[in-house]
Amino acid sequence: MKARYACGSSEHLMARRQFLGTLAGGAVVGGLGALTNPAVAGQIQSNQMRVVVLYLAGGVSQLESWDPKPKTDTGGPFRAIPTSVPGVHISELLPKTATHMDKLALVRSINTKNNDHGKGSYQMQYGRSQMPGTEYPHLGAVCARALERADNPLPGHIRVPGGSRGSDAAYLGPQYASVGMNGKPPANSERAGSLTEAADKLRNDFRRQANDRFSLQRRTASTDLYTQSYEQALQLMERREVFDVTKESEADMDRYGRFDLGQHCLMARRLLENGIPFVQVQHSNYDTHNENFNFHFEQLGEFDQAFSTLVGDLHDRGMLETTLVVVMSEFGRTPKINARYGRDHWGSAWSVCLGGAKIQPGAVIGKTNENGTKVIDREVEHGDLFHTYLSAVGLDSGGAFDIGGREQPMADPSHAPITELLT
Amino acid sequence: MSRWLHQRADDVCSLRCSVTALCVVVALAGKVAAFADAPGRPDVPPLPEPATVKQQDLPLLHPQIDALVDASLAASGVSAAEPASDGEFVRRIYLDLIGRVPGVDETREFLVDAAANTDARTQLIDRLLDSPEHVRRMQYVLDEMIMERRGGANVPDAEWKAWLRQSVADNRSWSWIANEILSADGAETEKRPPAKFYLDRDFASEVVTRDVGRVFLGVDLECAQCHDHPNIETYLQRHYYGINAFLSRSYVFTDAKSKKKMLGEKAEGEVKFTSVFTSEEGGTAPRLLDLPPIADPEGTAGEYVAKPDKTTRGVPKYSRRQQLAEQMTAPENLDFRRNIANRIWALMAGRGLVEPLDVRHAGNPAAHPELLSLLAERLRDSGDDLRWLMREIALSNAYQRSSSPIEVEASDAADAQVVQASLDEAAETSDEGSSEPAAVADFQAARIKPLSPEQLAWSVMQVLGVTDRTLAAKQAELAKKDGDAGAKKADDPVWQEQMLGEALKSNVDQFAAQFAGQGGQKTGFDATANQALFLINGSLVQGWLEPISGSLTERLLKIEDNGQLADELFLCVLGRQPNAEEAAEFQSVLGGADDRTQAVKDLIWALLASAEFRFNH
Repeated sequence: MKARYACGSSEHLMARRQFLGTLAGGAVVGGLGALTNPAVAGQIQSNQMRVVVLYLAGGVSQLESWDPKPKTDTGGPFRAIPTSVPGVHISELLPKTATHMDKLALVRSINTKNNDHGKGSYQMQYGRSQMPGTEYPHLGAVCARALERADNPLPGHIRVPGGSRGSDAAYLGPQYASVGMNGKPPANSERAGSLTEAADKLRNDFRRQANDRFSLQRRTASTDLYTQSYEQALQLMERREVFDVTKESEADMDRYGRFDLGQHCLMARRLLENGIPFVQVQHSNYDTHNENFNFHFEQLGEFDQAFSTLVGDLHDRGMLETTLVVVMSEFGRTPKINARYGRDHWGSAWSVCLGGAKIQPGAVIGKTNENGTKVIDREVEHGDLFHTYLSAVGLDSGGAFDIGGREQPMADPSHAPITELLT
Repeated sequence: MSRWLHQRADDVCSLRCSVTALCVVVALAGKVAAFADAPGRPDVPPLPEPATVKQQDLPLLHPQIDALVDASLAASGVSAAEPASDGEFVRRIYLDLIGRVPGVDETREFLVDAAANTDARTQLIDRLLDSPEHVRRMQYVLDEMIMERRGGANVPDAEWKAWLRQSVADNRSWSWIANEILSADGAETEKRPPAKFYLDRDFASEVVTRDVGRVFLGVDLECAQCHDHPNIETYLQRHYYGINAFLSRSYVFTDAKSKKKMLGEKAEGEVKFTSVFTSEEGGTAPRLLDLPPIADPEGTAGEYVAKPDKTTRGVPKYSRRQQLAEQMTAPENLDFRRNIANRIWALMAGRGLVEPLDVRHAGNPAAHPELLSLLAERLRDSGDDLRWLMREIALSNAYQRSSSPIEVEASDAADAQVVQASLDEAAETSDEGSSEPAAVADFQAARIKPLSPEQLAWSVMQVLGVTDRTLAAKQAELAKKDGDAGAKKADDPVWQEQMLGEALKSNVDQFAAQFAGQGGQKTGFDATANQALFLINGSLVQGWLEPISGSLTERLLKIEDNGQLADELFLCVLGRQPNAEEAAEFQSVLGGADDRTQAVKDLIWALLASAEFRFNH
């Protein structure tokens, strides 16, 4: 895998030198003690962080979830219920989630000025508006690169469900593109049946010897990368069960729910526990131009069970402090209820739920007006949120990657994190 | 007719812009160009027709390359590495010129020849450049350079590659190829392939403007779209719009009958731009960087061969896109030659004189500006003959140096430490992703180059016997079918190359899917665990290791003597003899093996998976 040497800004060049220096001496990188530069230590510290995104495709209704407006012309039939944060109410469709609000936060003042699925999903996942002729990396690719850990051979950017490799890493390179997982281990990760463990060990020992000899006279960063990729592959073979969700207990499968989203969230927990920096789980069918209320009743029922179990487990296992959880869509839904009891596309005043890592627990940022038709306090957009996600996992979101001599900002430089949301 | 492009400047710009004004592009109809600094070509001799240039008439370039390189090494007090051994050379030149490692017989043949014949290297270079496999190599190289692995279905991949192959086989000049591509409209079936550059970028204005600059001029003007480049003093907004003005009148037209997309063009429309930094307005006629602007000829405004409407593809009397092709390839455009010379140098030397290849500007000059200018000028004089340029580079001492910068005295522990320290330093500074300027060190020894996905695929197939086995089977098939005529055809290298290319394409595609980067921007060498898994456990390579008829495993198993077997194994896979230590280790494994077949397979695989095989050195 490519340069764990982090980005190439001056302080990180330092990190690269120290890393190489240590590796070249044949010593094992032994934790932070070896690295005396505080900037370097900080960078390594942030490598412990992880991100999980639940993407509710089609556009979840903020009014049936995070920003209910009961008893108004736009409110619909559902009530608002109190949560574990005094004074904060969410929709009654999320009763289990409500008990975890003290671990989560809400941003209720998003205005992305866009009502198009493709553009909205790009905005929210790439942190910028789409421009012809330019390509930016997905949040997952940025996290996979910036939170990559030298000791973890597993792919850093996982999409559940899915089977193929995405092309969503732009200039960061395909090794940070999303890998779709369906609960099965990755391709070619099982030792060929005809090969015994002993034979495999022998041939790899000879490979290493050949490399050692070659490197005596012709060693470059590229040859190092190549030889390391085999060691990563061998570790991945040993750890292929990480991707095998059937190894989880029956009881956990029940708790998360015996439906796709439930099992996918369980898979996410398994991946996060194994140090994978970015996992995105998708739940579909929120584009409710018809029968908005019936669909949300059904979909959010699944979501509430799976999501609340995941948040509860991350918390119970002490992982929430190092795991950013985000629930997002491409946009929200119109306050106005149409003639088919539906709600349409709406990017002008909607919400995102997030929590964990450095997100202030229980915070509520921004406000919409009484019937939810307008943001009236602390308007934010996708660029601000993107910065906030990165900051929440300890990254300097104003920093840049050095890609082959070109500086590429991690996030849209004209935006900044929502600082009051961060601890 | 006006087209407004509202966009926050900072979305466009990948740098730290903090301005949020609007970037406005206005295409105004009906105004004839009236820009002050009128065109007028400086006095430059016309470009020689490629066909009229005889290679043997050209003064040799490689002594001049060496003179410049040696002078800069001497000036820095650095001594050059030793010349590459014949074994090092033969593997390197096969990979660079025909895209695969030599077969074991080819290696042997050359080693014998080189021992007796001082011209052996030159003769091999000429033979490889003339071989049909060089066509395949350049097909891959040009495809990646021009299309950057972006795919696209408007022009099918097979037609595009066939066109590239034919162009290389005919030794068409780079200016001819560029001219065909940049003037293409995709309307006529037989002239459609070169339109892939435009059509499979969907002719998106920002994309094609940028990529004309990147691919053909070696400058990335992306950030100059909305303002003069904030960090690069010589990238100006008028440079971007100068290129854009050649293209702004063209548009995608879908033919009603064939449903095929092609380019139409209008006979009017100017580009204007406003800086989001300074709000200064500007306009420009078509122009290439700092060459003079090109005014439309008098009386051509609004004049059509075919007036565009819903069902008619617009064809103007005067085509600005045609002008782009002519201006780009005109002899006075040395930037066009600097770009391609730099790319060919990078191909042969493993690193461009300018890096990144598409960011040439005053602040990021060539590692050796004089050398780049020499290559560019002499390339122009040759009629933009890429094959000639590759030959001259291959003949230079600079190319033919060993890739090992240091003589290692393995027995001396103290020296070995010093050597290791300097290699560590080299490993650090050679990181492909670093932006450090290329230094004298670049010329001291040959660089180690990763094999491209295609080089890797063809090399693995060559070594494991897949290529030869497939060839033998197809030859037998043809002889059986067509008798003597078939047997004769089966000996034709052109037929062989084409047949193998088709027969083994799916294998090559599997390697490309695994090892090629996606998207337009390369990020240097990359090695992932997935790629390693493909070689460790993938059924393709594992299958090739089985001792079936014609496989390397089977061939080696016929050798009874372990010493001979180890020698042959190294020569087949790595193109060299094992040293004493290696020979002893391999012999001891073979001697102690319960399962000789398995041991041979494992040893082949170990060398195949080693860095020595993965890189060209």
